[in-house]
Amino acid sequence: MTSPFTKLRSQFDWPLAGIMLIIIAIGLVNLYSATRVAPKGLYQNQIMWLCVGSVLFVVVAAIDYRIYERIAPIVYVLCLGLLVAVLVAGKGVKGSRRWFGFGSFGIQPSEVMKIGLILMLAKLLSADAQELRASGLRMVAWTLGIILVPAFLIYRQPDLGTAGLLYIIGMSMVLFSQMGGAAKAVELGLAPVLVLVRLAFGLKDYQKKRLAVFLDPQTDPSGAGYHARQSVYAIGSGRWSGKGYLHGTQNRLKFLPEHWTDFPFAVWAEEWGLAGSLVLLGCYLFLILWALGVSATARDRFGQVLALGVAALLFWHVVVNIGMVTGVLPVVGVTLPLFSYGGSSLLTVMIALGLLMNVSIRRYSY
Amino acid sequence: MTGPLRSGAAATSDVRLYKRLALVIIAVFLLLGTRLWQLQVIKGDRYYRRTADNFVKEIELPATRGQILDRTGRILVDNRPSYGVYLKPTQMNDAILGRLDRYLGLHDEQSAALRAKIAAARTRKGAERFQEILAFEDITRDQMGALESDAAELSGVTVKAVAHRAYPHGKLAAHALGYMNQITAEELSQLRDQGYGPGDYIGRAGIERQWESYLRGKDGVDRAIQDARGHIKTDLDEREVEDLIGGPRRRDPEPGSNVVLTLDLDLERITEQALSRHHSGAAVVVDVASGKVLALASYPAFDPNVLTGHLTRDEAERLQDDPFRPLIDKAVQENFFPASTFKIIPALVGLEEHFIDAYEKSSCRGAYELPGHAFHCMKSHGPVNLYSALVESCNVYFYRLGEKVGMDRMARMAQDFGFGAPTGIGLPGEAPGFVPTQDFYRKHGGFRIGYSLNTAIGQGSTKVTVIQEALAYAALANGGKLYVPQLVERIESPTGQVVQRFEPRLRRQLDIRPEDLAEVRRGLCGVVNDPKGTSHSAYDPSVAAEVCGKSGTAQIGKNRKGEAAGWDKANDHAWFVGFAPARNPEVAIAVLAEHGGLGGHVAAPTAMAILKGYFNKVKKPAQAALPAGGGTGASPGSGSGRRNDALPTGSTSSMIP
Repeated sequence: MTSPFTKLRSQFDWPLAGIMLIIIAIGLVNLYSATRVAPKGLYQNQIMWLCVGSVLFVVVAAIDYRIYERIAPIVYVLCLGLLVAVLVAGKGVKGSRRWFGFGSFGIQPSEVMKIGLILMLAKLLSADAQELRASGLRMVAWTLGIILVPAFLIYRQPDLGTAGLLYIIGMSMVLFSQMGGAAKAVELGLAPVLVLVRLAFGLKDYQKKRLAVFLDPQTDPSGAGYHARQSVYAIGSGRWSGKGYLHGTQNRLKFLPEHWTDFPFAVWAEEWGLAGSLVLLGCYLFLILWALGVSATARDRFGQVLALGVAALLFWHVVVNIGMVTGVLPVVGVTLPLFSYGGSSLLTVMIALGLLMNVSIRRYSY
Repeated sequence: MTGPLRSGAAATSDVRLYKRLALVIIAVFLLLGTRLWQLQVIKGDRYYRRTADNFVKEIELPATRGQILDRTGRILVDNRPSYGVYLKPTQMNDAILGRLDRYLGLHDEQSAALRAKIAAARTRKGAERFQEILAFEDITRDQMGALESDAAELSGVTVKAVAHRAYPHGKLAAHALGYMNQITAEELSQLRDQGYGPGDYIGRAGIERQWESYLRGKDGVDRAIQDARGHIKTDLDEREVEDLIGGPRRRDPEPGSNVVLTLDLDLERITEQALSRHHSGAAVVVDVASGKVLALASYPAFDPNVLTGHLTRDEAERLQDDPFRPLIDKAVQENFFPASTFKIIPALVGLEEHFIDAYEKSSCRGAYELPGHAFHCMKSHGPVNLYSALVESCNVYFYRLGEKVGMDRMARMAQDFGFGAPTGIGLPGEAPGFVPTQDFYRKHGGFRIGYSLNTAIGQGSTKVTVIQEALAYAALANGGKLYVPQLVERIESPTGQVVQRFEPRLRRQLDIRPEDLAEVRRGLCGVVNDPKGTSHSAYDPSVAAEVCGKSGTAQIGKNRKGEAAGWDKANDHAWFVGFAPARNPEVAIAVLAEHGGLGGHVAAPTAMAILKGYFNKVKKPAQAALPAGGGTGASPGSGSGRRNDALPTGSTSSMIP
């Protein structure tokens, strides 16, 4: 019998792997600069996570994804279980419960949930078009439930940013499914309703503050708006070609808070200028369009929707993160794929890319 | 089981969908790229400066203010080390502030002000919140000792040495020197581009104010790189730091220039000592050959050390309400009636325009009658000529003279002598005095001959300042050269090099015949040296020069009654204005004792004491240093020879006993 890795070798998607490696390499170079003023050991941690991530990537890519289609509900329910568990027994950080701690490492179930959601939605939405349309309202209820239950659990942590991101990833998949137009309209129309409900039931104080600062940055120049402002200064001060590697003053002199997790792009843009920013932006664009191509040429419906889900995950992470650091979106804790420090985020992205590779190498299989 | 992608219509619609999706994604990335271009290219320079503001910490290196020196280089104003208490606002808490209150002995008002200052500093942006603020300046040794003994409990409190302005001679020449205090918010908004910052001191009065730009110097700056919490980075090499700053790291302060005055420390002290026998007054001594001011005093004075520092509200109110008005410079800023010291003006008009002959006598019967009003004299002098009228201060002689020459001729002569306009001494708030004309009276209720009579004896509406009197008599003494009084001799660099030297400035060469000036001078010498002279009681043979001058007793409105600490404010102002020596005059002097009484008895002895100090003490060492004679004496010879020269010989008073 052929080993699962035979396919991986013979049909390997070199451009996908290539662009991944480029972004990972740039990310490591940048993280080295960003963590010079950070607590010790972060850089080493990240390299360790990358090794683990690479193994996961290969394993996830090697196993035929049709197996994932079958076990998708199990993965989804496991992830949900983790979310419930973290609410009960998670490690509190800054007033919210998002983490499971293992020694010095932490795992964020909300990150892994994205994989569970993409798999589960892919299974549901890959059904026959006629079947999808026929099941009508029942399908709407199912997909909504699958998206909203984890989103609500994450929102309870509370982590509004990740909950919202989960919601828009799910909705993106629904939008490009073969569900009926009316059903899509119902699901999409829910978003504004949810926002209104949220506002009606009130936001946490820090959330209100962030929102107010985003709407009017002058309200609190030294408090909540400080991070966003310093990030914009850092990016802008890079000008055409940047201040030079390891010479970003905003980074080095600690004017960018926690820049290795949410603001690594600001560090990059400060040190490499517009030139560097556009190169990185181009890499992400290439990756996302490539994922779209994988989806378009997938062997079957499940693979198609699965790849689309991965593309949506990458797209929204990149757009929300860069929008946030450039000051056009409010500051929510959304990471930049392969660029931000953090195990959960990195592993999630590596698994997602493994799924993408999986779909890609099985395009022409029979 | 699951087949490949559906073929046909579904597949083509899929391809269209993917194309559209790809376009949307590209569009969103283009928007992000545009945003980056906007931030990094369009606003890039602005944000670059913002980040530089973030990390460049500027430590001001204050320039040393220049000294103020007397004409011989002795220090009048200096800087002394002092200690200021600085606080890190973010580290302050009630416990520390409570200790500070106790150790510094702050009263409630000061303590509340300090807390407000800290609260305000805490609301500053970014790294500025961590910057130290000056809480209390110039603390005493005891206060410093208390703070140091408890340093462990006072984290965030530091004591730093800073230069503080010092006036080592206290009240001496206070009005001329001035004082300093903190710049106001309003001044700051106007002067910020000249390098002034909040909390800076600025000259408030006198030389300190007028010569501020010379004395001040230019502050330097030391720039350092700080992180977001205000910690200075020390692990950067020099080139890297200069790269980040975008310029040199340090600019050394340029110390201010020294201002060398024409004042003489010894003579100033003697003058103020002599003046202090009155309740209130002023005295000026000038060099007749140049207009240089050798002494400039107003009594009582304030202590600039008190005003330059933490002046309490009580102290400020006490100075403000003091009936003797110590804050006013009575030599420069205040107008007085000149009284009989003004008689030289009608006398010179009379001689110059041939209204009188100096030797022609007229009769004084104690009063001069005009229709409807009699103008009184002190007594009935009998027949008087110009000399005896000046010596005995006969009003009737001058009433008659005043009527003859008229108001406007006297006004012109007075203006020629510098009355009615500021002298230009270059001190703040100089009073101009006032010289009335017929026109003035016509505009104010009509002119009458009586006004001319009153003007001739220095009453009426004529007002002069003490400095004007000194310069006018100097012009009389030097043959008609009216000088601008000069207070600043030169500007020196901190190392003593002359930067700028100021030459005497002639304000006007009076067009008066020398013999007429000599005739009036002769009269003035009789005032002191003739036994009949009004100031003869002040004659002091021990003075090493023959003193000439005119006393004056300025009558003031008797309705202004009021007393303060034994000071009768209904009393007349006492004047003595003169020059010495009689032959080849060197100095002119003007003394005013406010509400002092009779000029000849009150002001003249003071003037005599000052001149004795000048000729017997101050001048002698100077002469020893300049064996050539200093250029003032006409006859060469030893010190005793000069003294003989100065004694009344054949020149003036002995001619007409």
